[in-house]
Amino acid sequence: MISIEALNKSYGNKQVLTNINVRFEEGKIYGIVGENGAGKTTLFRCIAGLEKYEGWIASDFDQLKNHLGLLSAEPFFFTKITGQEYIQLLCNARGVKPGNIAERNIFDLPLSQYAATYSTGMKKKLALTAILLQENDYYILDEPFNGVDIQSNMIIAAIINQLKTLEKTVIISSHIFSTLHDTCDEIHLLKEGKFIRRVEKNEFNSLEEEMKRVTIGNKIELLGLK
Amino acid sequence: MTSYFLLQYKMINRNITEFGIYPFLGYPLMLLVFIGLSFYLFEKTEFAHYIYILAAISLVYPLSETRRNDFLKSIFSQRHYFQVRLIENGIATLPFVVFLISKSLGLAALLASLLGCIMALLQVDQKVSLTLPSPFSKKPFEFTIGFRNSFYLFGLSYILTLIAVSVGNFNLGVFSLVLVFLFALSFYTNPEDEFFVWVFSMSPKRFLLEKIKTAALYATVLSSPVLMTLLLFFKDQFDIILVFQLLGYFALATIILAKYSAYPKPMNVPQGILVVLTIQFPPLIFFVIPYFYIQSIKRLNEFLA
Repeated sequence: MISIEALNKSYGNKQVLTNINVRFEEGKIYGIVGENGAGKTTLFRCIAGLEKYEGWIASDFDQLKNHLGLLSAEPFFFTKITGQEYIQLLCNARGVKPGNIAERNIFDLPLSQYAATYSTGMKKKLALTAILLQENDYYILDEPFNGVDIQSNMIIAAIINQLKTLEKTVIISSHIFSTLHDTCDEIHLLKEGKFIRRVEKNEFNSLEEEMKRVTIGNKIELLGLK
Repeated sequence: MTSYFLLQYKMINRNITEFGIYPFLGYPLMLLVFIGLSFYLFEKTEFAHYIYILAAISLVYPLSETRRNDFLKSIFSQRHYFQVRLIENGIATLPFVVFLISKSLGLAALLASLLGCIMALLQVDQKVSLTLPSPFSKKPFEFTIGFRNSFYLFGLSYILTLIAVSVGNFNLGVFSLVLVFLFALSFYTNPEDEFFVWVFSMSPKRFLLEKIKTAALYATVLSSPVLMTLLLFFKDQFDIILVFQLLGYFALATIILAKYSAYPKPMNVPQGILVVLTIQFPPLIFFVIPYFYIQSIKRLNEFLA
């Protein structure tokens, strides 16, 4: 469980998150939806303890960060470190023995090559594999499907469902609504740093329709395409 | 083109400011350090002009990086692109050329200028896909990356050790041992992305201890060919050899603590000066190590606690 109460975050005069109150239960998958700049990544960084904030973030553990697998939207890679070494580094950091990494390489990544030479999708898959092998209790996946091929997207969706079965808490942000539709139990709509709506699975279709209506509106007509 | 160079000037100023110095002081200071090091180099070795030309080329080498050049080509016409590259390389090699001329080494100055111009015409793909094996893969990342970046320097140190043995020059042998540790120290000069500190589920104290233990272990691996050779061929001076080895470990601990005492920012000038002073005057470690340790714990608490 992750419980967030009265969370506020600002950079100077700019308020980025305002009075966030939410509870993420174990064995559930949560989607966070919002436009670019809505505050999704800042919220994730606050949960991870990478940002200072006002308010309370609590979990079942004394130190949430030590049980959290964080997949950034754009994971950082050193220039001369192989995929295998990247996984080893992340497992060492948590005191976990990854066993035979090659056998657990379900995305068929070229682990003996430098990770920095990987494509965007391969980097994402490597970073995801590494945090999965860390055996975390909580996962924050910031845009896990971005830049990843369709086949791997299917595998990622299956992994997320498996994490749910294992009673893990998973929080995902994605710009691809269909991926959230298939995997999430709840979706929270973040707008200008505020949670404006919480939607359960049976309302996902109406949420998608509403988002289309609000987002697209008559903007296409304004283009005057001929 | 003028706006491009103005932008570069602003970027350099920002880097100097981030380093903790006002730019108007930074430029004369850099010049003084450059002149001082140049005189030192030319005083110490007869091969200084070769090293000097190599240093000039290694300074312009990163400017030939493919992606950077692709970008320049996309914003400038072909003629302007070559002008920009020639001016850049000219500015970078100018101090070396001027110093070589002042030393009446016209041919070396000409060679440095020519190589600088040739480098302006080249593109180098630094994103090499060939993976160099590293003996330090079990505990990434500092030695893993550092070894891949500078394995040839360790090779040079080992060759120096062999030369020291063959000519019976103990001081040169000790120098080769010091070199190994100096190269290892360079692995710890830049701060890593905060994710790679945050991800550790350790207290700051244990984190630092693990970093120092790994550094000591891997430095032992890298220095052992030199250490063993020296102990074998200069048995009488074994105590001096071991003292230098020990000082190397202390220097490693100092640089690690200095790095995290500034984290996530790079080490600033006062910290850099303290590290250099400690390496030159080792008794300072008794004051510097506790100071850096306390600062590091404070800085790391933000990421690990």
